[in-house]
Amino acid sequence: MFKLKVADAKLLKDMATAISILIDEATFKIDPENLKLRAMDPSRVAMVDFEWPKTVFEEYTCTEPTKMCINISELLKLLRRAGKDEVVELSLDEKTGRLQIRITGKYTRNFTMPTLESSEEEVPTPKITFNVRAKATTEGLRQAIEDAQLVSDHVRIEADAEKLVFNAAGDLMSAIIELQKGSDTLLDLEAKEPSKATFGLSYLSEIIKAASATSDIATLEFSTDMPIKLDFQQTKEGKLTFYLAPRIETE
Amino acid sequence: MKYVVIAEAYEKIEATTKRLEMTDLLVGLLENTPKKIIDKVVYLTQGKIHPDFVDLEIGIAEKLAIKALARASGIKESEIEENLKKTGDIGEAAQKFIADKRQVTFFQQSLTVQRVYGTLDKMAKASGSGAVDLKMALLAGLLADAAPKEAKYIMRTVTGNLRLGIADMTVLDALATAYGGGKENRGYLERAYNVSSDLGRVARIVAEKGLEGVKKFEISVGEPVRPMLCERLSSPEEILEKLGGKCIAEYKYDGERIQAHKKGGEVALFSRRLENISGQYPDAVKLLKKYVQAKDAILEAECVAVDPDTGEMKPFQELMHRRRKYGIEKAMEEYPVSLFMFDALYVDGKDLTLRPYPVRRRALEEAIEESDRLKIAKYMVTGDVKELEKFFLEAIEDGCEGLVCKSVAEDSVYQAGARGWLWIKYKRDYKSEMTDTVDLVLVGAFHGRGKRAGTYGAFLLAAYNPDNDAFETVTKCGTGFTDEDLAKLPRIMKKHAIPHKHSRVQSMVEADVWFEPATVIEVLGAEITLSPIHTCAMNNVRKGSGLAIRFPRFTGNYRLDKSAEDATTTMEIVEMYRNQLKRISES
Repeated sequence: MFKLKVADAKLLKDMATAISILIDEATFKIDPENLKLRAMDPSRVAMVDFEWPKTVFEEYTCTEPTKMCINISELLKLLRRAGKDEVVELSLDEKTGRLQIRITGKYTRNFTMPTLESSEEEVPTPKITFNVRAKATTEGLRQAIEDAQLVSDHVRIEADAEKLVFNAAGDLMSAIIELQKGSDTLLDLEAKEPSKATFGLSYLSEIIKAASATSDIATLEFSTDMPIKLDFQQTKEGKLTFYLAPRIETE
Repeated sequence: MKYVVIAEAYEKIEATTKRLEMTDLLVGLLENTPKKIIDKVVYLTQGKIHPDFVDLEIGIAEKLAIKALARASGIKESEIEENLKKTGDIGEAAQKFIADKRQVTFFQQSLTVQRVYGTLDKMAKASGSGAVDLKMALLAGLLADAAPKEAKYIMRTVTGNLRLGIADMTVLDALATAYGGGKENRGYLERAYNVSSDLGRVARIVAEKGLEGVKKFEISVGEPVRPMLCERLSSPEEILEKLGGKCIAEYKYDGERIQAHKKGGEVALFSRRLENISGQYPDAVKLLKKYVQAKDAILEAECVAVDPDTGEMKPFQELMHRRRKYGIEKAMEEYPVSLFMFDALYVDGKDLTLRPYPVRRRALEEAIEESDRLKIAKYMVTGDVKELEKFFLEAIEDGCEGLVCKSVAEDSVYQAGARGWLWIKYKRDYKSEMTDTVDLVLVGAFHGRGKRAGTYGAFLLAAYNPDNDAFETVTKCGTGFTDEDLAKLPRIMKKHAIPHKHSRVQSMVEADVWFEPATVIEVLGAEITLSPIHTCAMNNVRKGSGLAIRFPRFTGNYRLDKSAEDATTTMEIVEMYRNQLKRISES
């Protein structure tokens, strides 16, 4: 049994959007302290790690730990009907096993949707020693990625003590985007050793675009030819982190 | 079980063309398969995930497959497309690009059969707006974890290109060898397969319960029985001789053969190729729900397109309008169907497949209530060559392909999945195609039904015979008349209506209304056939037969310029019949 009440529908909508770019059927874990989800996209290239403590909610009741799997894009369709500052309440009808979504604001809407069989897979977080840690504005990252996307479908991210570089090379054109440490975009940078790794731009852009609605500042961590961790700092409490596996570059 | 075991077996099977070797390889694979997933492995070897009668296909288009491969390998779609242009084999492309993939994935795990099967099943079931993306993501997920060799076969499976060439019988041979005590016991497995059409289920039963389990295999409502097929002969003498002097001769309707499975209030229809075609024939489903009295039953019928206005049967091609996924409602109105029932394989707990045909016929008659649109196929019991021939001509004229003559002997069981001499079809060797129109005289009419209530449903048409100055009937035509025609015809024809058959009209058909021969209309037919009931050129081509026009259609032209005596003559029809006679090539 649970009942989760969020005071601002937009918060929930943005979060669902961010999750939906990677996964379709989302298995949430709901326990007395927080709401969590950790899942990989079906091609196992990217991973999302999400957590909202109960303090994020206006009202949070959960008597015993529960798993709930739903089709996230279907939920999103319903949430899109809610305006800013409208209140959303999620609860489970134990008789029917359906999720009830109640949106209250100018008027009240009660939706229900089916829950699905939860995935049994426990996704661990990758254990990686990161050599680079960079703190940047989400907007700045988004611009850099958009620049790179003009010329290629993947980008090499390089870092040394001074700068973070996005290096993209397509068949015909290429782009180099440099972010200097201490600039308005790159707020902080630590590099134990110079590192570089290549990532698919479609994943990167989708992740950053969706997460930017929830966060202004992101922390990037990576090592040479290892997965990258993108942690999006939340305005309220809570965690939204993505991991993305690298590409192997032959040249 | 690891999927790579299957991929390796495929590789070896692909390399051989010898059936025995193929069987041995298959035996090896099946013996290495855990019993509880043997059904899944059997489906996979056939490039499927379910038996054919389950309406679920993986259905991945090449374009989507390329996208998934690009996602899983990190290689550009254009590069994959380029390669595919050269090799043409999406499986080879997957093998190559997965071998040099550039995208790393998290927690790569080797594929299990269960995961591959489960994912393919999920892909098949994906529907709705996000289905395409979901299918792509799922396939990419499999490919991301696949070894190059595995990628090759997964890709071929999802695009419907597995084609290992393993025949159903080879699988049965292999199952008999691995679990059924030897190849000589294949017959038992074959029967189980023939009554269930489900190789996977047969595999599971023989693996788990052995040959004894297979012997107890029961027909099950919902699983189509592989249809019994006919041999063919072209003379009534030979047919009667082959069937021991007596047979049940049935109309061979020009429609689609269907097997109806009724379980309580649910009805499913299967095609001759065991596909679930319930969706194409909601009207047939409704008829069966209404008129099949038995609670559970498996019945066979011929589903025939009928003219909604006249009730006349239409040729098979018209049914093609029902081969569609969308707009069935409209097609159903324009091309409604009738059902002609001819066999009962199972009724209320009783498996009838091993009972003689007359017993099954009785069970069929008891299981249904006949109605206008659902009837027992027209039949006669005969041992007489002449009678059989006459019945045959009637069948042709009524729009059928001919007759199916069935044994009434003690051993006339339902031979599921087999072609044998218990059923013999009698079709024509010659066919006379009609290319010219004819001008015929309205000599009688029939009351209309349904939409045509209150006006005429069809007309009796005649050709003119100047030798005896008579009008001889040649066809009954209700097609081609517009609503407007039908609205005005009773008024126009009223002045020609007479209370009995006109003295110059020769007819063996009883019309509802008779006319004096005066009005001539233009008609186009499909062909001219011998007829035992129309009097046109009676005894001229063959003794006891006249000629008839099959599938006539009014062209819309009233030949007001022609008097009744100017109509097409009977000799002209004979000429047309002779000139247009063509040998039918066996299809």
